[in-house]
Order: sequence, then C-alpha cells, then structure tokens
Amino acid sequence: MTRIRTENLGGATAWILHRPHPSVQGLIRQLGVIGLEAREAWPELPAESIGADFIFYDADMGHDEQFPWAPGQSPMPMIALIGSEAPGRLRWAMEMGAHAQLLKPMSDKGVYAALLVARSNFDRAKASEALIADLQNRLSARQTIVRAVMMFVMKGKTEAEAYDILRQTAMAWRVTIETAAERLVANHSNERGTDDGRRIDLA
Amino acid sequence: MKRVIDIGVLFSRSGIYAALARGAYTGVLQGVEEVNADASLDVAFRVIERDPEGRLDRYAPLCREILRTSEARHIFGCITSASRKEVIPELERFDGVLWYTVPYEGFEASEHVAYMHACPNQHLLPLLDWALPTLGSRAYLLGSNYIWGWEMAQIARERIAAAGGHVLADRYLALGDTELDHIIQDIRTLKPDFILNSLVGDSSYAFLARLAELKQDPEFADGIPVLSCNFTECEIEAAGDAAEGLVSVGPWFEPEGGRGGSFHEMSRLAVHELAKLLNGRPGAENLPLSELLHSAIRSGYTPRIDPAHLHAAQPAIIARLENSRFREIKRLPALRADPYLTHRSQSSQGGSMLKVVK
Repeated sequence: MTRIRTENLGGATAWILHRPHPSVQGLIRQLGVIGLEAREAWPELPAESIGADFIFYDADMGHDEQFPWAPGQSPMPMIALIGSEAPGRLRWAMEMGAHAQLLKPMSDKGVYAALLVARSNFDRAKASEALIADLQNRLSARQTIVRAVMMFVMKGKTEAEAYDILRQTAMAWRVTIETAAERLVANHSNERGTDDGRRIDLA
Repeated sequence: MKRVIDIGVLFSRSGIYAALARGAYTGVLQGVEEVNADASLDVAFRVIERDPEGRLDRYAPLCREILRTSEARHIFGCITSASRKEVIPELERFDGVLWYTVPYEGFEASEHVAYMHACPNQHLLPLLDWALPTLGSRAYLLGSNYIWGWEMAQIARERIAAAGGHVLADRYLALGDTELDHIIQDIRTLKPDFILNSLVGDSSYAFLARLAELKQDPEFADGIPVLSCNFTECEIEAAGDAAEGLVSVGPWFEPEGGRGGSFHEMSRLAVHELAKLLNGRPGAENLPLSELLHSAIRSGYTPRIDPAHLHAAQPAIIARLENSRFREIKRLPALRADPYLTHRSQSSQGGSMLKVVK
C-alpha cells in the first residue's frame, strides 16, 4: 500500500471554473462534505488559483485563456466538468490536461472518486516526467563520458587506460565521473576551438 | 387531528442477516406506535412494508414499488451497504429519502440518505484507539466479503499501521458462509492480540462458536479478544454463549438487558426524528431532506442529523459482553460524523497517530 485512501483532502482548496449554475451548488456541497474549501471563478481563474490543490473546469464553454498556465501545464490535478460529449470539446478538455472527469449535471456522486483519480493520475504523470528528465540527463552524461574517453584514446591511450584516467581525474577533483568528463570535454573544446572539438567527437 | 403520512419500511425479515434486520424493524414499528400515540405531534404514520428476504436484487424493485405505488417518500430500511447502494438510484429518481439506521463504512454522503447510526470515526477508530494500547498491536482482520468487510479492514489497516501495530492477515468470507477451518487454523498459527470481526450474520455466529471451541486448547485458554463494530444486542441470542467477552462499539447499548440494541434504538429514534421534522409542517414530507432540515432549523428545532452531510452526531461507547449484557468500558461524548475521514487531523483524539502512511 502506498498512498492512503483517506489522504489529506481535509482543508485542501478546490477552484471551480464554471459559470454560475445551480448544479455547481451540488459540487460545492459535496466538496464541503468531503472536507475541501471550494472557491468559484468565472470567466477566468485568478493568479492565486496557482496555489490550489484541485481545479474543476468547465469543458463545455472553456478555452485556453481562462487559465494562468499553458495547456497541459497545470501545477495541480485538474478535473473536467463534461456536459457535451462532442469530440472537439473532449479534445480541448484533454489537451487542457484532464486528470479526471465528472459528468454534468454534477450531483453528490463521483466527486470523491474524481478527486482521488485526478490526484493519482497527476502524481503518476509528475513521476513519469521526473523519471524521463532524469533518464535524459543520464543519457547525455553517458555521451559526455564517451567523448572524454575518446579524447584520451585519440592521444594514444587504450580504452581501459582512458577510463582509468577519467576515474582518477574525478577522484582528484572530488567530483563524479560525469562531472569530470563534462569539464574535460569543455576544456578540450576551449583549447581546440569548437570545430576541432566536433571533429574529434565524431572520430 | 393528526395527518396520516405513509412511510416505507424495507427490511429483510428472512435471510442471513434477518436477526439484524429484525432489531431495526421492530425499532421502526415501536417508533411508529409511539408517534401515533403522541398527541403533541400532528402527524401519524402508516407503514408500507416490503421484504426483500435478504436478496440483494430485490431491494431496488421493492424500493421503487413503494415510491411509485404509495405516497411514501421516506423509507426506513436496508442493513447492508450493498443494499443501500442498490436503492439510492431509485431514491434519486423518485425524490425519496432513506433513513439508514445501522453502522456503515463511510465514504458516502447522498442527498437522499439520512445516516442515523455511526460511521468509522464514530465506531472503528475509537474502538482501535482503545484496543491497540489495551490489547496489543497484532491484529487479525476478518470480514464478510463485500464493501463493509473490505472497507473496515482498509481503514483498520491504516489506523493500525499509523499506530505502529501490525496486521497479521485480513480474510474474507462470503455472506452466509460458515466454512471456517482455514480461518481457525490461521488464527492458531498467527496468535493475534485481537481479532476485528466484521463478519455479518450467520458467518459471524459460526465464527464466534468455532473461536470459543478453541479455548479448550490450553494454549488459547484465555481466549483471543474479538472486536466488532456491527455486533449488537439483537444478535446475542443467535450467537449464544460463544459471543461472551466480545467487545463492541456503538452509539447506544441497552441499559436494562433488552435485546434490541442500537439498531432498534436508532431506528426508533429515526421515526421520532422524522415526526418532529414534519410536525406542524403540512406537505413537508415531500421536501428534499436538506430543505426539510433547514426549515426545521429556522423554526428553532435542532435536528439529530447535520444538514451539511446528513449524518448524525453520535457518542462512541465501547462495551464488553458479560453474562449476555454489554458493560460499558469507555465512552466518548457525541462526535460529529466525518464520513470521508478528512477531518481526522483536526480532532484532538490521538493527534500523534494521524500521519499519512506511505
């Protein structure tokens, strides 16, 4: 078991981006019952909504400019309020970054589930993004190490010797092998000029 | 002159949890009798009764039948959460209200249900907060294989983990199942400090009987404490002596050795509550529940149920069954219901235990 299902929703803030409508009251009521503070906005989310824990947004009349962030870049879980199931509206709702959905008319049903599903999807997306960024960094670090090793090989060392020099350099500088490789490659490029450097890299 | 108002009654008077339903059913009938005899109230109730016989698929059609073929908008009924979930769509469709008078697992706040008994912050959590320091921290969770059993185990697991305890196992039995060899074997092996028994009806009685037999084994002569959030006086007869020593939690226990228990009492009170809400307000029986509550509040009446989430505030009383009577061990004053357990961190009870579990 990872996250508990009775997780800290108490005291969380949810903004509802929807034109004033009786069925919004049902949503507000249910959010209150669950323990959240609900705040309404229309036609735009104010800047302070960036600090919200959840956003509920109208998929029927919504558009990009209502949000103080770019589509798909919300800093919190977003829940689309869907009335029309026309493909164009659904596409917009998804591009905006729906982590969960509620069908209109909103009632006492599905709100708790939507909160939990949205948060779970949001967390998973965040974790995936972080993992991808980390893998990209490591991938580019590997390329740098190969470049540094190649520099020594070009100077007549064997590959094993080149790795050993890199390791010892890193130890002497008290940095990671990746950082040492980065510095060596940068120094080399500065000495030789970028054109030469590139030629060596390609060799 | 009293107005006569139809009310629905939807309890299974046969089937595997008939003993529980009987407690609630007789409570409703007693409440109706008292209301009808009370000259200070301008309402009298006429009961429209249906019996789903413990069959889950009968609840929705019979609920619909009451709402369609009679004037009744208020229905007293349902024991299991599964049956409550069955009738809610019918209540929504026909503007009905279910008066639900037994404990449940929370995580619901329908606008069409008056939750008159207790939810986990009023039963399970106070019970565990008492049990863990008193009985020990190694728990065995046992329940009927449906939402009540599952969710009780889930909430218990979180609370026990947060308190540094251990859940040795959680096991589920189909409703009505009395095949318990593997469970007893399990318990012999694991030797838990206590067992949380969320079995319902016949499974529960069979389990208590088998566990009592285990005491003949010198190793288990002292017995393993059994806790329950759903065992009340109305089951003492069905469970027999094997239930002796069981620790239960609830909003009310019989003071004089009665056999109705809180299912009976909360049902009786629910009927009185409806009568008070309708008293002096002709036509109010057709109002949505929250409006009915608000109109009563405006005229100075304090309803038992909170108009925000339609759950009753309840004391949590922990009691042990001794000589066929529940003796109070501990009592917490009336607690506001927290059906989604989101207000836990604000309570003063056991604040240090309320960490998020990863």
